[in-house]
Amino acid sequence: MASNEVLIIGGGIAGMQAALDLGDMGITVHLVEKNPSIGGKMAQLDKTFPTNDCTI
Amino acid sequence: MEDTAKSDVRIGVFICDCGSNIAGYLSMKDLVEYAKTLPNVVFVQENLYTCSEGGINGIKAAIPAHGLTRVVVASCTPRTHEPLFQNACEEAGLNPYLFEMANIRDQCSWVHQQVKEKATERAKGQIAMAVAKAARLRELSRIQLGIFYRAVVIGGGVSGMAAAMALGNMGYEVHLVEKEERLGGLLNHLNMVLPAKEPPSRLLDDLRTRLENNPKVTVHTRAQVKKSEGYVGNYQVTINENGNETVVKAGVIIVATGAKVLKPEGLMGYDGEKVITQLELESLLKQGTPSLKNVVMIQCVGSRCAERTYCSRICCMTSVKNAILIREADPSASVTILYRDMQMYGVENEDMFRRSKELGVRYVTYDPERPPEAGDGLVRVYHARMGKEIALPADLVVLATPLVAQDEAQQISTMLKVPLNENGFFLEGHVKLKPLDFATDGVYLCGSARFPSSIREAVSQGLGAASRAAIVLSKEALFTSGIVADINPNTCCGCLGCLEVCPYGAINFFQDRGICQVNKVLCKGCGGCAATCSSGSARLDGFSNDQIYAQIEQALAG
Amino acid sequence: MVEFSGEIGSFKAKVHRKARYVDASKCTACGACAEKCPTKVPNEFNFGLNDRKAIYKDYAQGIPSVYTIDPNHCRVFQGKKCGVCAKQCQAGAIDYEQKDSYVDLEVAAVIVATGYDLFDATRIPEYGYGRFPNVISSLEMERLLSAGGPTAGHLARPSVVKGEARLKELPKLIAKAEKDEKTDAASALNKERKWLEEHVHKYPTAKKLGFIQCVGSRDFRFHKYCSNYCCMHSIKEAIIARDHEPETESYIFYMDLRTVGKGFEEYKIRGAKVSGLKYVRGRVAEVLQDEELNPVVYFEDTEQRCVRSMTLDMVILANACSASKGIVTVAELLGIALDENNFVKTHPNKPLDTSVPGIFTCGCAQGPLDIPESVAQASSAAARAAEVVMTGGRALAV
Ligand SMILES: Cc1cc2nc3c(=O)[nH]c(=O)nc-3n(C[C@H](O)[C@H](O)[C@H](O)COP(=O)(O)OP(=O)(O)OC[C@H]3O[C@@H](n4cnc5c(N)ncnc54)[C@H](O)[C@@H]3O)c2cc1C
Ligand SMILES: Cc1cc2nc3c(=O)[nH]c(=O)nc-3n(C[C@H](O)[C@H](O)[C@H](O)COP(=O)(O)OP(=O)(O)OC[C@H]3O[C@@H](n4cnc5c(N)ncnc54)[C@H](O)[C@@H]3O)c2cc1C
Ligand code: SF4
Ligand code: SF4
Ligand code: SF4
Ligand code: SF4
Ligand code: SF4
Repeated sequence: MASNEVLIIGGGIAGMQAALDLGDMGITVHLVEKNPSIGGKMAQLDKTFPTNDCTI
Repeated sequence: MEDTAKSDVRIGVFICDCGSNIAGYLSMKDLVEYAKTLPNVVFVQENLYTCSEGGINGIKAAIPAHGLTRVVVASCTPRTHEPLFQNACEEAGLNPYLFEMANIRDQCSWVHQQVKEKATERAKGQIAMAVAKAARLRELSRIQLGIFYRAVVIGGGVSGMAAAMALGNMGYEVHLVEKEERLGGLLNHLNMVLPAKEPPSRLLDDLRTRLENNPKVTVHTRAQVKKSEGYVGNYQVTINENGNETVVKAGVIIVATGAKVLKPEGLMGYDGEKVITQLELESLLKQGTPSLKNVVMIQCVGSRCAERTYCSRICCMTSVKNAILIREADPSASVTILYRDMQMYGVENEDMFRRSKELGVRYVTYDPERPPEAGDGLVRVYHARMGKEIALPADLVVLATPLVAQDEAQQISTMLKVPLNENGFFLEGHVKLKPLDFATDGVYLCGSARFPSSIREAVSQGLGAASRAAIVLSKEALFTSGIVADINPNTCCGCLGCLEVCPYGAINFFQDRGICQVNKVLCKGCGGCAATCSSGSARLDGFSNDQIYAQIEQALAG
Repeated sequence: MVEFSGEIGSFKAKVHRKARYVDASKCTACGACAEKCPTKVPNEFNFGLNDRKAIYKDYAQGIPSVYTIDPNHCRVFQGKKCGVCAKQCQAGAIDYEQKDSYVDLEVAAVIVATGYDLFDATRIPEYGYGRFPNVISSLEMERLLSAGGPTAGHLARPSVVKGEARLKELPKLIAKAEKDEKTDAASALNKERKWLEEHVHKYPTAKKLGFIQCVGSRDFRFHKYCSNYCCMHSIKEAIIARDHEPETESYIFYMDLRTVGKGFEEYKIRGAKVSGLKYVRGRVAEVLQDEELNPVVYFEDTEQRCVRSMTLDMVILANACSASKGIVTVAELLGIALDENNFVKTHPNKPLDTSVPGIFTCGCAQGPLDIPESVAQASSAAARAAEVVMTGGRALAV
């Protein structure tokens, strides 16, 4: 039987945004992240170009 | 204060310890005792964690048990926890908008950890303000709306085609509107594309065939969108196709109108024959490689200058591509590229750049203060490394000119109430976090209409815009928020002050009645209009003047 | 992920869930445990520039908002007595017995978004990274600039931070050496202490900064490609440094300044006009260090046509975007192809599709991208996955 869920490997900004989009469409998403918290590299950045607002 | 307090106002106050986050720095006993003395407060409870199951059940039980008609929670931030507490109220039969929060954690205990007494006084003030506002809260309701499960995509270049394909594949009906005779956009005029290393017709033919065979997709060519009315979920789009008008009811609209190449009239001796643009070179090469001895390409013609500050992203890769193609076809032809920075970002572009150097394409930087000059079969340029001016023979000079906004961008911007940036490209909701959304719900953007992009990027963005649009189309219904603005039609003087400040295009002006009205579906409750309105006609439900003044009075009294 | 099989529409995956030793449904992230935990561990999130505890959360706003015990350092897991956190935790969330678990999933589509790793700059010995304290990586610079970072946003020179820490531990070491009657060692330590006392505080704040671009990128020895975002982040870091400390002077050493995104060229111009950044065209050949621990940069100035040197307070390397270290294993499990750089292989006309139908990719996993492009691509990958789900798992081309 075909499944209707999606697996995302990696919880950086890319993985999170993909998960949010799919979740908002009503699709069940499993997000697998190897670290204790999601966010990836972006969580380590101070402010980000080109708008210089903070990242989170 | 007393006179406005109505007898049916019975307020319950829940004060949270947040473990030790709040209780560690404030005197909770004092806060509880103080809250009991506030007007209209009939019940006060302290919780270890108000957001835990026990805390939530406590709220739900207290509402009927004490006949509460308002709930105040003094805890953390409404950004994360307001919906949770509002739900608890709703489940206990209380309108969720009769709820108010005081953030005594982020705004008090966390920032005043060293001064317990003063911080406790401050938290008291915050609770008193919330209670004062709560007494004046009114019931608000959310409106439910239907959705037309259909999309309109404006522009049939690769980005628009990719968007239409994705939505069609997901099972949604799509109308793709292209003003030219055929789909494909700029790609129709190119010779070869790199890094795919194929004629653009390969990609275009494949996309066109599959779109035509997709029963969900209707392609309109020689067509334009004449008019668009409505809002997210409920647009009525008038399409003029070859003179025939049809109205399509759609839930979402995607803007994929691309960009055009700047014609550098009056720049660097441009004449369309000996001095041409990269786009014109593509048509030359398409007809077969002309025999050329010396080609000089000049980058940044009409871009990165005072008039057009931006870098157009794709013209460096275009020049490198064509330099490679010329050298591959005829190794005896010399190609020199005069540039400021070679924008060969990423993996594939840098690969192309390296390949061109291996093929013997020469690169010379120039200083924008001393730009090259073309004429009499020569290009003169100041060579920084040699420290002198050099003259390069050139039987063909090719100018890399930027992509600039389409002429119709302004019309579309006005019609859909979406903004353009200073260069005429469409302006997204947030450059970093919402690159494919407009601030206005229900309208999305992709490809070179947003900013010059490569094929890879245009396809990707087309698919991405489809995903954003599908979020709306996958809903069973849309709900408006209760916190929306309202304009009193009897006092509005039609000054249009509100219309100008509203970032979401939620205000309509009715010419015949000379007044403005809020579209409650598009309104995000930012309050800009209410703060601007000079006649006091615009009001934001949930943040009305009497509610805010009551808070301010309380703050000043404490 | 440890096992993977199946095909588009019905993939089967087994995922290994590491124990946190904290019950996620109970923990409220109050932090009481970490406050009292006696075990300090260098904080890798801030590149060891400060400490965290054995029970920790990466950063204040981390999601999920749950603490985690690091079994490699926690005293209980090292066979010592402790249990302090369990006593502190009012929510009763601590569970030393929690076991690793395995979750079986069945999914229609997979998205690979494993990102990138920072290029290891010790591989370029001539830049002195790892040898000279005041030569740091781009990501270390981000932590130094961050209000939530180890220095609360103050641009302290790493030599100062490290020197101060060393000064604190030296008296103990000296006392021990003296007690053990190791006179040679003791006198060496005393000498070090004297030197540090004289030098550490001479230049506490980094005010003259040099940014070296293309570190590991556009370099035949390492990565041939351009890492796309590093020109922009160096400009950004220099602008922020100047905002924190108006006396900051920044020099950016580059070959081409690649500011190709929307608003990027304008950002670069503003950097020069408003924040006084100086863009120097030229590749840096070598970094040395003077006796005050100041990095000295030697570079070819292509505009002046000569080799010059410049003494700086701190040097920041624009480390390349390298393929994520774990990607090879992930790719083998999934059966997807990688390119010669170990990024997930895609075709320019089908930018989200891997070599296996139903498996998509986005973000830096498929090549270096900045945040706006990563976000846009993530939505695109979501669209591709949604197509598969909504059509019941049929393979579809773009
Ligand atoms: C110093 C620096 C500054 C920057 N500044 C900016 C800026 O200001 N603006 C900007 O636009 N961009 C900036 N960038 C670029 C930005 O970091 C990237 O665009 C962005 O982080 C890419 O996100 P991602 O999700 O693709 O990858 P990542 O952030 O790397 O996320 C990948 C995630 O996947 C996880 N993961 C990896 N492998 C596995 C596995 N096998 N199993 C499970 N999980 C796994 C990782 O733990 C990580 O959480 C900067 C980069 C650097 C180095
Ligand atoms: C000389 C040159 C060479 C290039 N070479 C390469 C290359 O080798 N590799 C590469 O990756 N990229 C290349 N590019 C870039 C490539 O052309 C773009 O990536 C691509 O065209 C972007 O597609 P798009 O759909 O966003 O816009 P466009 O191709 O511009 O398509 C927009 C479409 O919208 C239609 N339209 C506009 N307004 C309206 C309206 N009001 N109503 C209805 N329809 C409307 C237009 O008629 C057009 O068909 C090159 C560009 C140039 C100029
Ligand atoms: S891409 Fe190249 S030619 Fe085009 S504006 Fe940018 S630097 Fe100039
Ligand atoms: S409250 Fe904000 S969003 Fe709503 S109509 Fe007024 S200005 Fe527009
Ligand atoms: S048990 Fe481990 S994590 Fe808990 S306080 Fe002790 S050392 Fe820290
Ligand atoms: S004390 Fe308990 S609830 Fe608080 S952060 Fe630690 S584990 Fe979580
Ligand atoms: S983005 Fe700039 S610093 Fe980074 S590799 Fe490319 S050219 Fe070098």
